[in-house]
Order: sequence, then structure tokens, then C-alpha cells
Amino acid sequence: MSDVFLFGVLPYVSLMLFFVVTIQRYRQRKFSYSSLSTQFLENRRHFWASVPFHYGVLAVLAGHVVAFLAPSVVLGWNAAAVRLYALEITGLALGLLTVVGFVATVVRRLGDARLRRVSTRGDWLLYGLLLLQLSSGVAIAYFHGWGSSWFASSATPWLRSLLRLAPDVSYVAPLPWVVKLHFVNAWVLIGFFPFTRLVHVLVVPNMYLWRRPQLVLWNRRERHDAGAAARRAVSA
Amino acid sequence: MHPTHTIRCLAAAAVLVTAAASARAQDPDVSEETIQFFQLNCASCHTVGGGKLTGPDLKGVAERRERAWIATFVLDPRAVIDGGDPVAQELFRGANGVYMPSVPGLTRDRVEKLIDLLVVESAKERSRFVGLQLSDRALTEADVARGRRLFEGSQPLAGGAPACLSCHTTGAVPGLGGGRLGPDLSDVYARLEGRKPLAAWLAAPPSPTMQPVFKERPLDGEEVLALVAYLADTSAAGGAATPRAGLGFLFAGIGGVLASLVGLDFVWRRRFRAVRRPLVRGTRA
Repeated sequence: MSDVFLFGVLPYVSLMLFFVVTIQRYRQRKFSYSSLSTQFLENRRHFWASVPFHYGVLAVLAGHVVAFLAPSVVLGWNAAAVRLYALEITGLALGLLTVVGFVATVVRRLGDARLRRVSTRGDWLLYGLLLLQLSSGVAIAYFHGWGSSWFASSATPWLRSLLRLAPDVSYVAPLPWVVKLHFVNAWVLIGFFPFTRLVHVLVVPNMYLWRRPQLVLWNRRERHDAGAAARRAVSA
Repeated sequence: MHPTHTIRCLAAAAVLVTAAASARAQDPDVSEETIQFFQLNCASCHTVGGGKLTGPDLKGVAERRERAWIATFVLDPRAVIDGGDPVAQELFRGANGVYMPSVPGLTRDRVEKLIDLLVVESAKERSRFVGLQLSDRALTEADVARGRRLFEGSQPLAGGAPACLSCHTTGAVPGLGGGRLGPDLSDVYARLEGRKPLAAWLAAPPSPTMQPVFKERPLDGEEVLALVAYLADTSAAGGAATPRAGLGFLFAGIGGVLASLVGLDFVWRRRFRAVRRPLVRGTRA
């Protein structure tokens, strides 16, 4: 019963939230579509957090998408054991690279009072979900390999059944708990996505190449209020 | 013919066809659903009149045991065996200590239908569940070699199912070994007690993970024989897969991370020079 909810209902709830809230947020609060970068004038530490995390996660996600869209291509590639091993080692290395970048991100954010000040509870919740997703993914790669092959025959048919609006949970219900955790947490992340700074992935700033310069001012409310009080004092 | 009349005739025909179909579905003895259920969930370990596989031959089972006992046992075999029931204990020993799995989606009502099916099939001279009738020919080195290729994936399975290596390993798989989603199959030939039960298992894998994958992409008879030959060979060679392969995989991954970090540092070695360093220096001034 819980499998039916987790793998047959939750995906639709998450997708609904994803599309409705993403569009609504863009219509109502367009300028909140940002990662709220904290790197300006930052030192090397940010490089070792942001670059490994972003390149790692983009490559890992691309691998998941290919396995979903073209499972036969992946199975064809894996027909030779050497190619399978190369793909799996690359996947594990990219997963670990993402974890390294992510841990550096969290350490940096925790270790700097200025960054803690601009971090919301939503950010920390998102970090918790991402940590769960990354660690379960790496655990699957190590303890339940070779995922690049069995994903194509167990997860892809389930995902396709979701697209056909006829969810078939029999493919995923018997899988090990850590694999199910990875799937469920992925749907939770997708549903939570539009409420977080993750929305920045939808607005990759290609326009930076040709748009006119913008001046962005980011003031804290207390200072604004203090300034207003000061102005009132002067005018009085 | 008047169009209204035509529509009435078609509607009457549709009602008759629907009624006939539902009447057939309600017949407990010949329900296609029950036959299908037995085929998918039971036939890989049991025959009706075809001899013992992993589990006993079920021909005449309703005469040997009471229906209530069969239902209780089938609904939760492990509980009945561990509960000390002498008949269940004897069956357990006969299955070489392999617990009969609890079948997902099994209800008391469905068990009753399955028993009805077994009564009907037992009465036949040759049941449809007599079991997989594979060739009895001797298995050769060529079969072992073909089985190895099928297991490792260098020769694709004809039905389009993924290679065994995706989820399983054996002590004979070189390099980083096979997958770790399913169990190590090094001694499966001995564990399932030989050629016939293993072949029946491979012909219709009953495990909940494999069943949905293989029910639409079954192995053909020759593939089953080749894989049986390969697994018999690995079983005779002895020795399970070593955990060293897993550690090798982990160290290769860690090596990949270190190489990536060095690569990223190299690619961006000139970072911060043009804009950021002067700005950072400015903030310190």
C-alpha cells in the first residue's frame, strides 16, 4: 500500500507542485529566481565547493536522463564488461566529486557568520534533502552496482509507466530500501524545488552575454529601517 | 438496412459478447487470471505431474493435504515452517533448506482458486504445468562458453532482457565482478539442486525483482541450457566472488575524484586574476 503511495501517487503530487508553483512563482516574484549567490569577493574556498558540486551534479543528472530516455543505448554500451566498468567508475567518481563539493559548501556556509545570517530554514532543509540524495546515490553505486544496467530494466519501465498515467510499481517495490529511499527523496526534491533557491537552474543566465548591465542593490531590512529612522530624525 | 436497426444489432451483439466473456471469467476452474498467476508465481518451483523442482510436484496435492492446511501454509510458509509443523518441516528439508517465499498479492480467496486449479490440472493426463521440457542432451564446453557470454552480456539475450551481470556475479567473473543488486550466483546450481530446478527457475524467474522484467522478455530454451551449463561450471569450480572487486571499484572512484579535482584546478588556474583578485585586494586595503 505504501509502495503504491510512494511510487504511484507521490510522483504526480510532486510534479503538480513543481509545475504549478514554479509558474506561479515566476509570474508573481520573477526576481526571486536566483541562487542568491554569496560568492562576491569570496576566496578560494568557494571555488572548491561550487565547481566540483555543480559539474559533478550536472554530469550525474545527465547520466540519469540518458538512462531514462535511451535505456537500450546504455545497455548496448554496457555489453562489454570493460565499458560497463568504465561507465560505473566514472559515475561513482562524479557522485563522489559532487559529495566533496557539497560537503565543502555546507562547511563553508556553517563556518562563516555572514553566510549563516543569509541562510534560511528552507536552505538548510534543502541541504538535508540533497545530502540524503547524494549519499544514497553513492551508496547505491557501491553496494548495489551495476545501476547503469539495472536502472534501464527496473527504473526506466516504472518511470515510463508514470508518463503513460498507468503507474506500475511492481518494478520498484521489491528493490532494496536505499534504492527506494533514493527514488522517494528525488520526488520530494522535485516537489520542494519551486520553493527553494534551486529554481536558479531554470534561469541559466545566457542573456548575460548580450543584455544591458544591471545594478543590483541588496539591503537588509534593519538597515533600511534604521536609515528611514535616521532620515525622520534629520527632517524633525 | 436502416441505420438505427444496425446500431441496435451491434449493441445486442456487444452485450452478448460481454456476457459471454464475464461468464468465462467467473468460472473458477478455468480462470485465465488464476492460470497466469500460477505460471508467474508457482511454476518455476513446482510442476503438476512433471516431478520435483525446488518445491514438490503438486499433482494430487489436494488429496494428500487438507485444503485449510494448504491455504495456511501457502499464505505464510515461513511462519508455518518455523512454527514446527511436522509436514512443513519435512517439506523444508526436502527443499534443501530453501524457504518457500511469500507470494505478493496472495489472498485466501486466490489460494482457494489455485487449489481448484490444481484439482483440475491433477485430473488431466498431462497438465499444462508439467514443466519446462528442455532437451536432456549433455551440456558441452560450447554451452559453458555461450552461457558465460550471455551472463556477462557480450552476447545479448534474444528476448531483450538485461544480462545477468547487471545484478549478479559469480566467482568466475573477472575484473570488477558482476552487479550487486541480486545475490552471488556462484553456487546457485548446487543450491537449487541441479539442472532441472535451475532451468525451471530461469525459464520463469519468480523473484519479485526479476518477474516484472522477465515476464515480457523470457529466456529461450537454448539460452536457459547455456546459462545452466555456465552456472554448473562455476558451481563445480567453487569459490564465491571476493569483496576485493568492490574495494577496487571504490578506489578507482576515489582516484577519479582526485584526478577531477586536479583537472579542475588546472583548467581554472588563472581564475580570479582579471577581476576578482584586484577587488579582493581592494577590500583589504
